[in-house]
Amino acid sequence: MTANIRGAMKKRGRWRFLSWLLPHSILVVFSAVVLLPLLWLLRVALTDKATAYKIPPEWGQANFDNFIEIFTGYPFFSYFLNSATVALGATIFALPLAVGLAYAFARYNTGGLSLRLFVLSSQMLPPVILVLPLFTLFLKASLINTLPGLILAHMTLSLPFLAWLLVAFFDGEVATLEQAARTDGATRFQALVRITLPVAAPGILAAGLLAFLLSWNEFLYALILSGPHTNTLPVGLSSFQTHRGVDIALLSAATICAILPAMVLLPFLRRYLIKGLSLGALK
Amino acid sequence: MRLFLSVVAALALAASAAQAQTIRILMETVPDTRYIQELLPQFEEETGINVEIEAISYIDMHSKLVPQLIAPQGSYDLIVVDFYWVGEFTKAGWLMPLDDLAERDGVDVDVYVPKLMDLVGRVDGVLYMLPFYNYSMALIYRQDLIDDADEQAAFQEAYGMELRVPQTWDEYWKQVEFFTRDNDGDGNRDFYGTVIQGQRGDCISMQWANYLYSQGGLYHDENWNPLLDSPEAIRAMEYYREAVENYSPAGSEAYCFDEAFNVMAQGRAYSFVTFNILYAGFEDPESSEVAGKVGITPNPGGGLNGGWGWAIPNSSPNKEAAWTFMKWAESAAVAKERAMLGGAPTQAQIFTDPDVMAARPYYPILGEILAGTKDFPVFTYTTEFVEQVGLELNLAATGEKPVAEAMAAAQEKLRALLVKDGKIEE
Repeated sequence: MTANIRGAMKKRGRWRFLSWLLPHSILVVFSAVVLLPLLWLLRVALTDKATAYKIPPEWGQANFDNFIEIFTGYPFFSYFLNSATVALGATIFALPLAVGLAYAFARYNTGGLSLRLFVLSSQMLPPVILVLPLFTLFLKASLINTLPGLILAHMTLSLPFLAWLLVAFFDGEVATLEQAARTDGATRFQALVRITLPVAAPGILAAGLLAFLLSWNEFLYALILSGPHTNTLPVGLSSFQTHRGVDIALLSAATICAILPAMVLLPFLRRYLIKGLSLGALK
Repeated sequence: MRLFLSVVAALALAASAAQAQTIRILMETVPDTRYIQELLPQFEEETGINVEIEAISYIDMHSKLVPQLIAPQGSYDLIVVDFYWVGEFTKAGWLMPLDDLAERDGVDVDVYVPKLMDLVGRVDGVLYMLPFYNYSMALIYRQDLIDDADEQAAFQEAYGMELRVPQTWDEYWKQVEFFTRDNDGDGNRDFYGTVIQGQRGDCISMQWANYLYSQGGLYHDENWNPLLDSPEAIRAMEYYREAVENYSPAGSEAYCFDEAFNVMAQGRAYSFVTFNILYAGFEDPESSEVAGKVGITPNPGGGLNGGWGWAIPNSSPNKEAAWTFMKWAESAAVAKERAMLGGAPTQAQIFTDPDVMAARPYYPILGEILAGTKDFPVFTYTTEFVEQVGLELNLAATGEKPVAEAMAAAQEKLRALLVKDGKIEE
């Protein structure tokens, strides 16, 4: 009898091990698919161009020369600063406007479905169609090659997307909470500031982070509307592709630097997104 | 929001005020651009004009330029134009004719290599550009292998001819076959006679042109009648296909010049038909393991001509200052200094200048290469032509399409584009 039980337990242990192993090995394969390019990028960033292309791969002596060169030999710091200014600017200016727009959509159904679609319509066109008229307008307004111009341009990208994202946070349970506050005598504005915004804050923050990343990674508008003093990171990165070949080692180092902010922001984004999506105040 | 707009307006005003004494130039990230940047303080001191150079990569340049050129007034005073775009830009009327300025200031345009003047200088007799940079194509090969006594004896025995710098295509192709080897004896070749850059579009179009010229073929006759289904063109494609199959690394039908360069730079190939400007990279121990072992010679039968020209767009806000800069950058002294730094000259006398030759002994050969080049078809739809024909060439190179069929398709595509451009009748 005891032997039987022990046998069964052993079997169960083996089963548990197997049920741990199988999903993990699948996950490892998938993670490798996602992570290997990044690790490879890091490897190339730490070698020189000649070693980078060796087949079979050679490891060579890892060094930080590429990282030093992109900051000393190229205006990489200014690309970084421009990107940060534009992405922060576009997000900070777009967010309050988007909150207002989304609130109006959610509570008053302003303009009905047609206005909502109209707001989104600019996102349905290929960006290259929008950038040419924008270029002409900016040229007239002397906004070409200026950071405020780029901020404005990126706001046209992030505003519609932010508004649509935020409508979802103002709909549903928050509306009921707001209703309760109104019943207790709060004005609509008080209810918005004291109840709705704090409750929707994680969502607004998550949307803001997404808008930041959208602007951070944006290439076409930045390419066409910027100039030597206002080039952003993606435009700067593309300049490593030269007539004598891709400066792959420098490009990799630069790419690593460019994705760092996103890597730092993403854990926050994930936390707030989950929090934002699972608002459970009425439990 | 009002505050924001007034900040925007104030910044924009400040920016335009600061630009008053400055000319802005859009250039590609070629080595000569860097040399110009190094020499800039000279110009700024001489003229008091500030220069702002924006250097971006080739693939982004066209999309950045076109909106600027369409505008009544753009933000670039001076640009450089790749020969691909010459037809498009001049036909659209975006570039300013320079004949009057050149005559007024006595600028001698006869100093330029005539081949480049035709490619990135004059269009239908009008001077639109001054040639800035040349990237004509040539044959880069391993001089050390040719000089090796054992290789010479083995080649003599196998082919009954001397192993030397190839003068004819037939001789070159024997060498390609001879040097393709399986050194570690695992049944797969690991040293290649040549390296193909067969990626669709630009990469294959550029390299294959040299194969076409090697067979005495041309893209079109004097009256623009396309010749891509000629026996010469078909033979050129057969050679190219043979190289992909037998003499070039597996996968090279998807290479561009960068990947191909690295095969050669790692000492894994005998030769590479490519841009002459890559030669400096092979001679640089930082990027190459075969530094000091490579030579460069004209492609047998002629190589492809390529170049950039300085141009003042009609949308230039400050044409006079742009012209002043162009004159300075193309003056004999500055052109020579650029060559000394490793530039790609366009003026005939530079290639044989004693100081330049002392610093870079191979420059006379570059002059020879340039003189023997042939031109790619330059017309309004060159960019489309490169994409469409580059696709057919690649299909033939990979064996997805029989050679004759692919060339017939290429012929039809070229014909359609030439008809669309009004070069020939339906």
